[in-house]
Amino acid sequence: MRVIDDMTAILTGLWTTWKHILRRPVTIQYPEEKRIPSPRYRARIILTRDPDGGERCVACYLCSAACPVDCISMQAEEGEGGRRRAAWFRINFSRCIFCGFCAEACPTMAIQMTPDYEICRRDVMDLVFEKEDLLVEHCGKDPEYNFYRHAGIGVTQPRGEGEGEKPTVDVRGLMP
Amino acid sequence: MPKLIIDDIAVEAAEGVSVLEAAKSVGITIPHFCWHPALGRAGACRVCAVKLLDGPVKGIQMSCMLPAQEGMVVSTTDPEAVALRRQVIEWLMINHPHDCPVCDEGGECQLQDFTIACGHGTRRFVGPKRTHVNQELGPYISHEMNRCIQCYRCVRFYQEYAGGSDFGVMGSAGKVYYGRFESGQLESPFSGNLVDICPTGVFTDKTARFRARYWDYDMAPSVCPGCSVGCNITPVARYRELLKIVARRNDMVNGWFICDRGRFAPKGVNAPSRPRTSLVDGVKTGREEAMDALLRRLGEVAELYGEGSIAVVGSTRLSQEGATLLPLLAESISAGALSYGLSAAESRASSGAISMLTLENGASIADVENADCIAIYESDLREEGPMLLLAVRQAWRRGAPVLLVGENSPLEQVRGVGIEAVQLHYMEEAPLAIFERPVVIAGMRHGDPRVMAVLDRSGARVACLFPGPNGHGAALLCAEHGGIPLEEALAKGKVKGLVAVEADIPAELLAGVPFVASLDWRETAAVQAASVVIPTAAWVECDGTYVNFEGRAQRFSRVMKPGLPIKELDPACHPPRIHQGDPPGGDILPSWQVMIEMIRLAGEKVPDGPFSGSWANLTSLDPEGEGEVIRGRCRRDS
Repeated sequence: MRVIDDMTAILTGLWTTWKHILRRPVTIQYPEEKRIPSPRYRARIILTRDPDGGERCVACYLCSAACPVDCISMQAEEGEGGRRRAAWFRINFSRCIFCGFCAEACPTMAIQMTPDYEICRRDVMDLVFEKEDLLVEHCGKDPEYNFYRHAGIGVTQPRGEGEGEKPTVDVRGLMP
Repeated sequence: MPKLIIDDIAVEAAEGVSVLEAAKSVGITIPHFCWHPALGRAGACRVCAVKLLDGPVKGIQMSCMLPAQEGMVVSTTDPEAVALRRQVIEWLMINHPHDCPVCDEGGECQLQDFTIACGHGTRRFVGPKRTHVNQELGPYISHEMNRCIQCYRCVRFYQEYAGGSDFGVMGSAGKVYYGRFESGQLESPFSGNLVDICPTGVFTDKTARFRARYWDYDMAPSVCPGCSVGCNITPVARYRELLKIVARRNDMVNGWFICDRGRFAPKGVNAPSRPRTSLVDGVKTGREEAMDALLRRLGEVAELYGEGSIAVVGSTRLSQEGATLLPLLAESISAGALSYGLSAAESRASSGAISMLTLENGASIADVENADCIAIYESDLREEGPMLLLAVRQAWRRGAPVLLVGENSPLEQVRGVGIEAVQLHYMEEAPLAIFERPVVIAGMRHGDPRVMAVLDRSGARVACLFPGPNGHGAALLCAEHGGIPLEEALAKGKVKGLVAVEADIPAELLAGVPFVASLDWRETAAVQAASVVIPTAAWVECDGTYVNFEGRAQRFSRVMKPGLPIKELDPACHPPRIHQGDPPGGDILPSWQVMIEMIRLAGEKVPDGPFSGSWANLTSLDPEGEGEVIRGRCRRDS
């Protein structure tokens, strides 16, 4: 029956309309009202510190190598106690596509993505962040990790006293 | 010539080569650590395992230790061989630290490459790692023993190849340690090669510590400007700063290695005092204005003091491009004297050498290595050509006696490479005639030019160590265009205007010259005394050619763009936060292009390029090739 089919179609459509009219709206009144994204949301990038307060970034150049849009540049140097650190570190957020490859490539958990997505600026040059803009005073998402404790070359502890290391070899000893 | 099959590819190997080299010749790379083309094999790492399916030997074998034989069928992809290689590399990695992010070798590390190539990814061993205490090995090389995989390459190079005695191997089993008996600077003049030869990061270049990664390097094939040997090198630059120098293979010149002086001696490229802008009386101007001022003042000098009062001086570090244009520049500004910066003694020795050398009697480094007797005549090779000392040692290891002739050939030079030598007073005392392949290495600083005639008659091959990286080229041009020694050009008192093109002129010789102009990239005495300074590009900032001691013309390529390094631009250390195309101080031309501009401004006919006429064959030199031997041109012409 053609007329019954038509009626069903109209009533189904109306049912959907009324259902949405009576439902609570999903629109959020941004910017008065803000959503909290998931912790693994990929927005503004930070450089974190290790649990002892030292800079985690060792300027190994892996993030800049992984970056598909070449928005990360840096210069490594030797800091106090033989630590490798960045003399300068720059991320051009006007070019960044927030793909997260840099955070994935980072071997020291230094570079991390945060859920802070509100990084618009009036002047495009203000989107070029230097090291002092990027470096934060906390550990970010891996609060326990300190690269130099596992690295096996001393720096934060005497040689042979890091995690999973034997005491240093006495090369002049006669014991087998 | 044994014929064998490697991975279904038929290979005809040279006599006596290993299976690993035979595979390499057809493009199959078998992972290896202890084997090195210059050092041979040690059978220490066990990572080059292959499976032999058929032939005289069968089963799993180490390809570096196994000579290629007729009828072998080799598989590098057999599951058994692949599994063995994976297990061996997993075992080598048991004690390797987890520090690739802070290791300077990271990115150019053979251990990284072959670990991945062998398929080892995740650490399964849970036990602790062995650790070592490092040594302080001087200002050039840093030591990190925890990274060592015991391939013995360093000690084989240092003791056997380079004859050093202060570095060796200690301990046994899991405690093997490579170092000196106690901390201290390495004594061998070839110690820097440990950096290149170590397959991982035990020895790294301290001068470029923590500066850049391999994939960011600005690199190009180049030639060392340290001496007349002309070793092939790869300079490494980043952000317009020369970071370090690594050896580049050229079997006709330096083989695989270079000396520490070429690697570590300061080159002046990064010197903050380097001339970067054109100056007229100390005031910064553009290049065009400076050239105008230069030509105007030369005109005034010629007017005031008469014809022939202007001298043009080059040097032995000026590239062959610049050196061939020097006579044209002298002609265009009506200069009365042309000099290639050679002293009177050097000039006599060089002209003696080029009139004696022919294609047949000149010696290359390979000839030195294969000689059965070597005489070092009036030369300290540590100063005049350190790589020849390494070649002399290779000949000595094969049994060639080494003779030191004359009072300027000190015995200390051969002690540095651990060889014994006999000292003689005169060249005539050397019994060269009783040997089949004798070679004489003749120094030019103290050498008596009359000895060249003795050498010519002796039947020995001769290596003449010209001063400077392009000394041979400068000497050839000097003979062609009637160049005079530096003292002679300036001591007459007639010279009132001087154009110094990359010339190192002592300040006392400049004192009596009223007008000095300098085209240079180093802050020389001439630059300091000059009224007009035009900066030129350093050798890493332009293409060029050097003719080395044996007369081999070698092309070097531009490594980096000229300009102020980022490090010097902003005291706060950031690169500047402005957009600009060319870097500040980047408006610098190579000296030969500046000379062409000057010839054009002087109203003369401008040559198409630096090389014309009999030099035109140098236009198409390949920077990655072996170079072209041009010695003996003078003798052929006459």
